[in-house]
Amino acid sequence: MNFDILLAVSPILAVAIGGLLLMLAEAFGKPMVLTGPQAGLVSTDAGAGRSDELALGSAVILFAGALISVALWKVGPESLPGAAALAPYLIIDRFTLFFCFLLCLGGGLASLLAGGYLPEHNLDRGEFFPLLVFSTVGAMAVAASGDFLSFFVALETMSLGVYCMIGLRRGNLRASEASLKYFLLGSFAAALTLMGGALLYGATGHTDFVGIGQGIATIGKSTSAVNAPLVLVAVALVIAGLAFKISAVPFHMWTPDAYEGAPTPTTTYMSVAVKSAAFAVLLRILVIGFGDPRLASWGTGWPTIVAWLSVLSMIVANVIAGRQESVKRMLAYSSIAHAGYTLIGVVATMHSGQGTPSVLFYLLTYTVSTVGAFGALILCGRRGAEAVSYEDLAGLGKRHPAAALAFSLFLLSLAGVPPTAGFFGKLYVFSAAVDSQLNVLVVIGLLNSVIGAYYYLRVMVYMYMREPEPGAPLATPMRSGFVVAALIVAAVFVLVCGILPNTSLDVAAAAGLSHG
Amino acid sequence: MTVGNVFFAVASVVALLGAFMTIASQSPVRSAVGLLITIVGIAALFLMLNAQFLAAIQLIVYAGAVVVLFVFVIMLLGPDAGDGEGTVARARVARYGAGAFFALLAAAAAHLVTRAPDAVFTPFGAVDPEHGSVEAIGRLLFGSDVVPFELATALLIVAVVGAIAVARGKPHVRRQSKSASPTARMFHGPLMARDAQRPLPTKAEKAAKAAGGA
Repeated sequence: MNFDILLAVSPILAVAIGGLLLMLAEAFGKPMVLTGPQAGLVSTDAGAGRSDELALGSAVILFAGALISVALWKVGPESLPGAAALAPYLIIDRFTLFFCFLLCLGGGLASLLAGGYLPEHNLDRGEFFPLLVFSTVGAMAVAASGDFLSFFVALETMSLGVYCMIGLRRGNLRASEASLKYFLLGSFAAALTLMGGALLYGATGHTDFVGIGQGIATIGKSTSAVNAPLVLVAVALVIAGLAFKISAVPFHMWTPDAYEGAPTPTTTYMSVAVKSAAFAVLLRILVIGFGDPRLASWGTGWPTIVAWLSVLSMIVANVIAGRQESVKRMLAYSSIAHAGYTLIGVVATMHSGQGTPSVLFYLLTYTVSTVGAFGALILCGRRGAEAVSYEDLAGLGKRHPAAALAFSLFLLSLAGVPPTAGFFGKLYVFSAAVDSQLNVLVVIGLLNSVIGAYYYLRVMVYMYMREPEPGAPLATPMRSGFVVAALIVAAVFVLVCGILPNTSLDVAAAAGLSHG
Repeated sequence: MTVGNVFFAVASVVALLGAFMTIASQSPVRSAVGLLITIVGIAALFLMLNAQFLAAIQLIVYAGAVVVLFVFVIMLLGPDAGDGEGTVARARVARYGAGAFFALLAAAAAHLVTRAPDAVFTPFGAVDPEHGSVEAIGRLLFGSDVVPFELATALLIVAVVGAIAVARGKPHVRRQSKSASPTARMFHGPLMARDAQRPLPTKAEKAAKAAGGA
């Protein structure tokens, strides 16, 4: 019985214990003896100079978490009846395990990127890695939570870690601005969600999603619309709070500044793990908590709100992304646009059983493509010669064909070009939407994909077809085994999901089914 | 009108007045005191709901720690720290605009409530007097609600590590590149040796070179 519980939470538990060990290693490890001109000097800073070991350690911990999720998937969470004792606070089903794998993968890749990025840019800070690991613990708990209580605690765990990882670059005004903006707006959004939860408790007497769903179903049974103002206001508040975390327009204002000011591995983590976790809980709340047919219908419920968020995100983000001069900012807007595409799948859960699996598969493809794109951006720059604007990348294809090729692969995947993962991700989201008769949304999504291709291809045009201006600052790629390893893992996922999508799609379908 | 109603009215008016004072006053110290009044009012409201423990915690944590923290920050920054230059007019527009927007939202919510006469509110039963005692809360925390309680430990660790990460300054000794060891060379430095130098000559250099060649 108790063993079932331990086994069920083992992915989360393993990562948490690993995080503790990492903290001990960081605190009590030997300070590095510096070589070179300062030979013999011992760094006064316990964490400094040991990013290599810590990055490797946290990557191993997070990939181990992903492997444990896979193992648990093979065993089958259904065969652990004792785990039901954790409900409703933590629900361990295939849906949760899928997200545990996805979040650990994203977190692990981000820590590999950090292992290359932080020492190169003199941000050698040992605290980064425990923060990353514990943030991932929070994110996994968010994906597993089935109750507002545990959801909120887990959400704050995830967010606090991210706020601090953004602000790591002390003394840099842009990083401070990014951190402060994300912190203030993020706290405000969390408060909105909490207020929504409180109102739902007032309306139904429950904090768990299942109980909320049943409570809503009993309200004014005879009427065609849910006639409870508390519930309607709560639905709006909860969606607004979560839309902030997935950075959907109009709750996206913080995104470009926070993404640009943060160290790039943090940006990767934010755009991958935080967004996926928020989508997980959004699906759970909408489908289970607000799954009442009257609330999940076009005229009187949340699908209209979510569809508007989706349309606005796609259009606004794509139009603005095309006008950016900074590649990192362009990728930030691209992540807003991708939130819009994913929301189409969320709307499709209204009618079609394909909605949830399509969202899960899309998140998988988005995760590996985004990690790859940010990783390639990291690889293309060194301290003092960072790849920031399009001009920095001019002629990269000739100077560094391998780095440019990697960047191109991930950009093509983000754009949704056929042999890559991004194509199938979009295909399944759009086909799920067609199943639900959301043809208008599909047309808008397709048009936006075309607009999106413009700015992704623009990077490639600069890399392959432009020659740098004489004397212009150029990005010079760094040498980092960590970044290359992350890029290889991401590239394998992009190609496997793009050429042989069957396995990952079956997994997403099974995860979506267990969610109900 | 029962004693409970009078108590409720007094406590809520105190809380609301404190909240108004917090946002309306010009001096940050007054705002902090206003916040203190709100917190005391809310603690009184908790008492009415038989949540004695929560009322005590509200006073200890918020009034005792959080407001004191605010006052400390005000003391460190000086009482005039809030006076910005230049953007005052914009700030005023934003403040009144946001206020008007929230008033509109409140009106909309009130309209929703009054327009739905058949709306059903879940009837909550009378609160058990022992409901908010220390024993009852302890039973909840270590009984049925142990999972979120344990999750809070992760939250606290993140908060502590994060505070250290943000508060600690830069490392004193900068790290040098480990070019000495061949393994380290695989992981650090430029991808190709030629990138260590400036990759392209500037216009002036090019011109000089051309002139030299000719």
